[in-house]
Amino acid sequence: MSAPLIPKVEAILVLDNEGQRLAGKYYGDFLKTDESGKTAEEMKTAFEKQIQQKISGIVARPDAAEVISVMGKAVVFCGGSNAGPNGDVRVVHVGPASESELVLAYLCEGMYDALAQLMGGTTERTMVLDNLELVFLLIDEHCDGGIILETDGTKLSAAVLLRDDEPMDPTMGGMPSQNQGVPQQQGIPQGVNPGDMTIGQAFRQAREQWLSSTGI
Amino acid sequence: MEGQQQDSLGMGSVMREVQELAEKFKDEEEEAYVSPYAHLEKAQVLQEARIFHDPTAVRENPRKCCTVIAQLLHLQNTGQYMTSTEATEVFFGVTKLFMSDDASLRRMVYLFIKDVAETCDPDDVIIVTSCLTKDMTCDVDLYRGNALRVLVRIVDAAMLGAIERYVKQAVVDSSGQVASAALVSASHLFTSSPECAAVVRRWISEVQEATSSPNEMVQFHAMQLLYQIKSHDRLGISKLVSQFSTRNTLRSPLALVLLVRYTAKLLKDEYAEGRISGSIQDGSQVAKQGYQFLEASLRHKSELVVYEAARSICSLEGLEPQDLSPAISVLQLFLSSPKPATRYASMKTLAAIANTHPRVVAKCNEDLEALIADSNRSIATLAITTLLKTGSENSIDRLLKQISSFLTEIADEFKITVVHSLQKLCLTYPAKHRILVGFLSNFLREEGGFDFKRSIVNSIVSLIHAVPETTESSLLHLCEFIEDCEFTQLSTQILHLLGELGPKTTAPARYIRFIYNRVILENSAVRAAAVTALSKFAAQCPSLRTSLMVLLKRSLIDEDDETRDRAALAVAILEDAMAKNPYVPPPEDAEAEDIAPDTPAVNDTAAYVLLGAMPLSFEKLERSMTAYMNTPVSMDSADELSFEVLPIVEDTPAEVAAATSTATADPISGLMEPTKPKEVVDPAAAVYAIPELASLGRAFRSARPVPLTEAETEYVVSCTKHIFQDHVVLQFTVQNTVDDQRLENVTVLIDDSMSDVFTASGEIPCSSIKYGESHNCFTILEKNPDADLVPSQFTCELRFSVVQVDPTTGEDEGEPYEDEYPMEDLEITTSDFMAKVTVPDFKSTWETLGNTNEVLEKFALQFKNKGDAVAAVIDFLGMQPCDGTGSVKPNTGGKPHMLHMSGVFVSGQQVLARSQIAMQGETGNVVLKIAVRSDDASVSRMVADCIR
Repeated sequence: MSAPLIPKVEAILVLDNEGQRLAGKYYGDFLKTDESGKTAEEMKTAFEKQIQQKISGIVARPDAAEVISVMGKAVVFCGGSNAGPNGDVRVVHVGPASESELVLAYLCEGMYDALAQLMGGTTERTMVLDNLELVFLLIDEHCDGGIILETDGTKLSAAVLLRDDEPMDPTMGGMPSQNQGVPQQQGIPQGVNPGDMTIGQAFRQAREQWLSSTGI
Repeated sequence: MEGQQQDSLGMGSVMREVQELAEKFKDEEEEAYVSPYAHLEKAQVLQEARIFHDPTAVRENPRKCCTVIAQLLHLQNTGQYMTSTEATEVFFGVTKLFMSDDASLRRMVYLFIKDVAETCDPDDVIIVTSCLTKDMTCDVDLYRGNALRVLVRIVDAAMLGAIERYVKQAVVDSSGQVASAALVSASHLFTSSPECAAVVRRWISEVQEATSSPNEMVQFHAMQLLYQIKSHDRLGISKLVSQFSTRNTLRSPLALVLLVRYTAKLLKDEYAEGRISGSIQDGSQVAKQGYQFLEASLRHKSELVVYEAARSICSLEGLEPQDLSPAISVLQLFLSSPKPATRYASMKTLAAIANTHPRVVAKCNEDLEALIADSNRSIATLAITTLLKTGSENSIDRLLKQISSFLTEIADEFKITVVHSLQKLCLTYPAKHRILVGFLSNFLREEGGFDFKRSIVNSIVSLIHAVPETTESSLLHLCEFIEDCEFTQLSTQILHLLGELGPKTTAPARYIRFIYNRVILENSAVRAAAVTALSKFAAQCPSLRTSLMVLLKRSLIDEDDETRDRAALAVAILEDAMAKNPYVPPPEDAEAEDIAPDTPAVNDTAAYVLLGAMPLSFEKLERSMTAYMNTPVSMDSADELSFEVLPIVEDTPAEVAAATSTATADPISGLMEPTKPKEVVDPAAAVYAIPELASLGRAFRSARPVPLTEAETEYVVSCTKHIFQDHVVLQFTVQNTVDDQRLENVTVLIDDSMSDVFTASGEIPCSSIKYGESHNCFTILEKNPDADLVPSQFTCELRFSVVQVDPTTGEDEGEPYEDEYPMEDLEITTSDFMAKVTVPDFKSTWETLGNTNEVLEKFALQFKNKGDAVAAVIDFLGMQPCDGTGSVKPNTGGKPHMLHMSGVFVSGQQVLARSQIAMQGETGNVVLKIAVRSDDASVSRMVADCIR
């Protein structure tokens, strides 16, 4: 029952409503080797399938992560919805069974908050899929090789968008596209355009503009 | 008006039309739009990655490059791994991207290098070092932190020396991001290799400084690294803990969580090393301070810290209930928290503490009952299983009612947990067995998967063994279950059990119907099991033989070979036995007490054949046979193969461990995969390979290797003792760790002058040991057959000649010279001559051996607790603990512990020992009473003398 002295995360996953891994990272030796001769990827998929079986249908509030136990690991997650395949994604943190679930929940809520900020308030599957690179960066800023790097949602999203982590205007935490025209801050090198949009985003915005211009 | 109408109509239709168009457009858009990460093909992405080599494209379209990198990462993420060559090629492309100044792109490059660094050849990765070092020293915070984190993934200790200055500075950087990155990187380095750890150790003052950073995460990371650096320095840790817990400078809740954990660890170590005895309040200064800090943390404003403190207090050993109760109160409050994680965590801790202090947890019972309705079923299950532990005997009925409504709505996994707690409950309150077993059998009729049903059957079966009163009712419940059981494995298991236990019950006849129904209705495996069960009834109860014969004969025409064979065997044996000892029914008018018990006659062949057990398990038989075949002597011998000539095999370490550990699985951890039995290698195989030693015969047993040197010395030597009938072969495994030496003609000189029992009679040297290799040399000791075994110590010395070699080419340099190397003393004790072998039934074997050669002794020993004493006694005797007595059950208080052990001595005698271990007051005195029985008084004496 004794806790590991240093809190470590064994996996961070971003799963869609059907349990598909959109992004994720496994740390340390967890699911690396197995006697049954399965590849790491097969084991991961099997593990995620087990997670999905247990969490499907459970919606966890962004500030109140849910806990389950899968294959002897403590699994904590935020998000999810009952809507179809395009519903909200879940952010899942996996830790050793002896890890404090509160610590894991704290981490998970922090990352979910950051994800929501980065995706402009929604954590819809397509939105996340369009901005996968931001998700990759978020995971990297959140956790380095299993050690927690940063937990604060606002700081995390700032770091992902290559903004300075000084305290800032809350309105800036929105969609990347809202940040166009923000004056370049000190400490940001040339060529940074935090408002860069993916093609998909640009398309959507154009479409919305067109629709609103037709008066509907 | 008309125009207006027309106009409005027109407007309406236009609106509608536009709307439809928009809808249509939207639909089309939805279909046409494809995410850049959907349906990626590896080949296609690799093709696109060529853009990295085009300087103009990189300069003008950094976005595109970012997307390609992200696509590559996505491929990795979805299991479409690149081969090593592909990875290297892409990697080179990515290094070109350092040309671009685009910050987003640079960030993606970092991410990519970090992800791919492991799969590429380290020599290739090294080329980015200079770029990263440049980024690390520039003045952009965002670059510095990230570059640093990538860099430490690829440097080795030598390169680390070159950049050490920058990392050290980064640790105390004013930017939190940079400092955190540096500290986390240092933590990784610290665990990566001892050389890197040595470098990191030098930064201790910077790390110390970082703990007072205003940035919370930096505080946390600094605390983490500081502890890693000091982890082997007990005094340092103690100072660290007291310094931070009194100064109160840490703001970060995560850092405080760390501090709480460090404190708890310190307290546990204090306890383990005996500096705390009794209540923590009268312990050392460190202990008192530590506990006060934990208690004060219970009032912290962050839930993280409060929970950590409560959990730590609960995990401390030797706490009095009043020391626990503040922590329990906090956890009780958490039970009604709106956050599931908080409820779950505190529920889990309470469930664990309820095992040892059910009464302290009992005050939460009301809250626990409320949690049975929790939407998180893990919490609900924990609540109910905890209630089963904390509830009093008279609340059981009410609880069971709640459980039965609860069970229908939870998953099988949780049901199994509940079943296990019910089983435990029945052990605590055996008086309630009727209700509890009835309840469990009700579950058997419910819907449920195999694992659920099996856990119930196993629970009922283990209850039969633990609480014999339950036997008859349980067997009938199980009989009913197999009437309608879809699982062959469970049916056969139950039929086997019926065959074992049924005949010994008061009315064996009533089970026959259930069993025979299986013969008519089931598949072949179950039929075969049923036939065996029937034949066991017949063998055990002569009164039933005639009628059972009728049933058994029907199976002689069964279509399944196995079933038919079993029936044929049983029928043949029984007919024979019935002819010899015909059953004489008692006279009609006999009084009940005059009727002889319905047992087979003493010389009954059917009882002997059908009821006698194998002397050893199949798995052991296999091992024994393998050992037999491995020894040349026994294969050549003319003796017939029988159980008596088979070598004695010891229990495997796994079996030994199973007998000594208290297995208490985590209640909600998932089902464990069954562990495969490992291939057992005969440790004496090395001896059999030496032709000169063949005449010694078969090794009786081999002890586990004992190190004779420290693990880090020039020559690492360990010794394995192989015990033969009249000899002991010492196998010395010598490893040469000096890279410019080759050892030749290696022997170990044993000084036997001090021993009356053993004389060194021969040596087999090892001809040559190159650098890094390990080889064996042997020394043979001859046992004096007239002397009794007494523990003997031998001084040993490694003798060899050294040939200097060039470490790079391996060529000899110069003449060999003689050298010697002292080693630790080797000890041969009586326990080395004892094989750990379990007996299936300790009690009856004990009775059979009788007390003619019994030796009784009483010893006063010094141990802190019963657990240590039990472990030491097992170790002294080298015997196998039986009946699960190898570990002390918790909460037995002052009651003495009974330890049963069995073994086989080298001369082939079975030895059994019963010992009673009792604590004498709180002073650490243990009184050991031991009785040893064997066929030979001198053996019993020798074994009893093993206690020191």
